[in-house]
Amino acid sequence: MSYPPKLSAIIELFTVLPDAEKRETLIAYADQAKSQEPRDGETFDLEDVRKDEECTDTVAIYLRLDERGGAHFRISLGPQVQTLTRAMSSILCKGLEGVSPAEILEIPADFVPKIVGAELVRLRSQTVYYLLTRIKSVSKVWLQRQRSATGDINS
Amino acid sequence: MSTDSNYAHPDALVTTSWMADHLKDPGIRIIESNEDILLYDMGHVPGAVHIDWQRDLQDHTIRDYIQPEAFADLCSRNGITPETTCIFYGDKSNWWSCYALWVFRLFGHEKVKIMDGGRDKWIEEGRPLTREVPHYEKTDYPAPSMRRDAEIRAFYDDALAQSRGNLPLIDVRSPGEFRGLVTHMPEYPQEGVLRGGHIPGAYGIPWKQAVNNDATFKSAEELRKIYQTDLGLKPDDQIIAYCRIGERSSHTWFVLNYLLGFDKVRNYDGSWTEWGNRVGAPIEKSL
Repeated sequence: MSYPPKLSAIIELFTVLPDAEKRETLIAYADQAKSQEPRDGETFDLEDVRKDEECTDTVAIYLRLDERGGAHFRISLGPQVQTLTRAMSSILCKGLEGVSPAEILEIPADFVPKIVGAELVRLRSQTVYYLLTRIKSVSKVWLQRQRSATGDINS
Repeated sequence: MSTDSNYAHPDALVTTSWMADHLKDPGIRIIESNEDILLYDMGHVPGAVHIDWQRDLQDHTIRDYIQPEAFADLCSRNGITPETTCIFYGDKSNWWSCYALWVFRLFGHEKVKIMDGGRDKWIEEGRPLTREVPHYEKTDYPAPSMRRDAEIRAFYDDALAQSRGNLPLIDVRSPGEFRGLVTHMPEYPQEGVLRGGHIPGAYGIPWKQAVNNDATFKSAEELRKIYQTDLGLKPDDQIIAYCRIGERSSHTWFVLNYLLGFDKVRNYDGSWTEWGNRVGAPIEKSL
């Protein structure tokens, strides 16, 4: 499957960047992580706030669907979450903007090393994958609820 | 400079306030070493250089540390001479700064210190951070003649002999890891170990017992109670400390060596990722 257009553009950018600039760009995305948090007055269709046993801190995913069925995510991260994961939260919020939950479930995780680069992916940096897993999990739950609500239990 | 003059080597620690007053001292180099690989780029103590435990200190093909020539090159490009006092600090209660300090000691660099409380305390106190990466004039650090593996580093065979000889082994991992209930640190992903448990005969004394909530080291009196009164260790004991990959045990090695004055302590950096995967390695569980 091809990536959603906005995510694809981000992946292409990282693919051509030399290592030093890739690092700087990741820092810039990490800087923007705060702006991806829920804002006052915003409401969501689904919220998933938890700290899994193997994670350093809380990761909260908030999903809002627009009138066309496109997903919009907000993510808040506890203070102990690694910088790389903060960068990925910004990338995913921007890259998946407006993509339907069904399409999100089909996105392969193989773009992560293309963005992060081999030097920065370490055993203890695996939460960069974890964020996509959590986003897919929220999308799946929302789809299941929709199907239950419409009686489409075989989908 | 230190928080407790009763430590065996009180000058092995500097406080954050001392550090703030000496940022531009000639003869010192401030070194940040973290688990979070991008944390230095997000802001660091002014003038600090970044030494990454994996990129800079480890060989990339053999599970081992860099060779003396590479260490000399690392020091040279960071403006460090054999006379430079290297002051380490970092995230995670100074795990990785103690690890980097231990590696510097492996190469015989004498003048090393830890900034007590590390990066978190510096930030908590509202002290300045910068993203400016300093550039120091390259030095001519001579390649050390050898690595002091035999003195402060233990290998599998050393740990096995220690276990069989009923000599002190300190497992500094969390209680769940020690007991064999889990094979990863609490709040961390799996790191590829096949079996859980501990080296037979090891004491389970988590590294965290040695620090306060603000990541500073406990007082000399408190540390003596933990390791000497309660555990029964003596300063001339031959001790081996281990964890999963050697970073938490570097922290305990620093405590025993520099703060309590135990001078026969070795760090088994192969630790549980070697022992727990090794064919034929005896394992004890306490479920």
